[in-house]
Amino acid sequence: MSWAIEVNNLNVWYGDKHILKDVTFKVPKNIIFAIMGPSGCGKSTLLRAMNRLLDLNPYARVEGQVKINGIDVYSDNIDITWVRRQFGMVFQIPNPFPHLSIYENVALGPKVNGLVKDKSELDRLVKRALEQAYLWDEVKNDLKKPASMLSGGQQQRLCIARALALKPKIILMDEPTANLDPVASSKIEELMLELKEEYTIIIVTHNPQQAARISDYVAFLYMGELIEIGETSMVFTRPKHELTEKYVVGRMG
Amino acid sequence: MSSGKIFYNTLTFLVFISLFIVIAVVISLSVTSYPIFLRDGLFFISKSVWNPVKEEYGILPALLGTLITSTLAVGLATPLAISLAVFSAEIVPPRFRALINNISDLMASLPSVIYGLWGLFILAPILNEYIMIPLHRYLGFIPLFSTKPVPTNLFTASVLLAIMIVPFASSIIREAYSAIPYYLKEAAYSIGLTRWEVIKIAIGYVKSAIFAGLFLALGRAMGETVAVAMVVGNIFNLPKSLFDMGYTIPSLIANQFPNAEAYNYMVPALYGGALMLFLIGLVINFFGLYLIKKVMIKS
Repeated sequence: MSWAIEVNNLNVWYGDKHILKDVTFKVPKNIIFAIMGPSGCGKSTLLRAMNRLLDLNPYARVEGQVKINGIDVYSDNIDITWVRRQFGMVFQIPNPFPHLSIYENVALGPKVNGLVKDKSELDRLVKRALEQAYLWDEVKNDLKKPASMLSGGQQQRLCIARALALKPKIILMDEPTANLDPVASSKIEELMLELKEEYTIIIVTHNPQQAARISDYVAFLYMGELIEIGETSMVFTRPKHELTEKYVVGRMG
Repeated sequence: MSSGKIFYNTLTFLVFISLFIVIAVVISLSVTSYPIFLRDGLFFISKSVWNPVKEEYGILPALLGTLITSTLAVGLATPLAISLAVFSAEIVPPRFRALINNISDLMASLPSVIYGLWGLFILAPILNEYIMIPLHRYLGFIPLFSTKPVPTNLFTASVLLAIMIVPFASSIIREAYSAIPYYLKEAAYSIGLTRWEVIKIAIGYVKSAIFAGLFLALGRAMGETVAVAMVVGNIFNLPKSLFDMGYTIPSLIANQFPNAEAYNYMVPALYGGALMLFLIGLVINFFGLYLIKKVMIKS
């Protein structure tokens, strides 16, 4: 079986603080993989270690391997921008570039990374990404308007379109519904189920119900350690570890 | 009366004093300059003449001098101010950041007579030797450079003004740039942008702050008096090129006020110039502050 991503003995420190401790796991392709755990357990750090967004933090130090298609993203001489565009990333706060138009928000990534030959190919890519994010019908007449005019839920779907336009293999989502109302949240969840046909989705959530609803596999992270990992139905019905059980029934977190 | 009430009343009274002074200044500018506008109308603005003996005053050269030097100064300062702001907010190692910002803020608060002195004795000869004379020699066919340069002229005044306003404009831009939310930078990096591409996006994001900073700097440049008076040449002629000696309204007032009261219309003429400067400054500062307010609302 070939894996979407393999993480081997990943350790992360912020200064002297050991944030992730020997984390090892593999994610199969075309599934939704949820990483759940209480605040401060290292979930977001784990996500950012995968696409090397952690490099932005001058105090972060990483050891271990993260392999996509057999290539370790931490190997020497690797092109970091190449690494980053293998992943699409969606953040906790909807963060489109508010001063750019809706079109430009989606087009920017493919443009600077040279993924398209000409304007018409770019137009098609932008349209397809917006369609995949279920946003096209709502914005097709407003493509030139600034992204700041969209509602929170629409902005988050625009961010998903921006991520999809990179044609990534893996989509990383860092609590993508934490700042949305229930209606907008369930729209994003539906969208994720749709997207896993084509992509592998790794979602971080502090909400075990969300993990139970949408994920195929789930990992429970606690104080930087991977406590349990497995098929979602198994982890939620018959957790092997006491901490996991406490967490999923809501006595912790 | 309770102490809180006394404090409140005193505060209100003092605030009204400040407001009253501003209004009083506007009124006296208008009243005192009224005779020259009554006598000459708009010719006072559109004519080029300064002849106290015949009591003829038309401030067009000084008005143009003010507009030319201040806009050229802002033009020259723009790339420098943006670069300095981005450098200190994004590129310089954190431990040197405070040092750079302190030096920049210190430069912004330096008394302008120091800039004037330095401009006159150091900057002017260097500019003349290495920039103005070569520009005139090789590009003299362009009207802007057509006059044979002397060290003190409109161009030197513009460059000196640019140097003076860079720290001021760049501190406004720097504040806005540092306030860019971290999650926007993360988003930019996450789609595979390089550091320089991210900086380009970030500059676009603070565009309004950049305009605001430049507009407020323009207001400062227009009002700057001493330093400009020391390097602008102080010749009352309609400028034909950047290398002409000239006047600005502040430098005109500073140079002419000592003997103004010997003539009937020179005091109104100087006040008229001041009123024009006040009005232009008002519009520009108003616009700059409006842009800043827009930036604040956005963030």
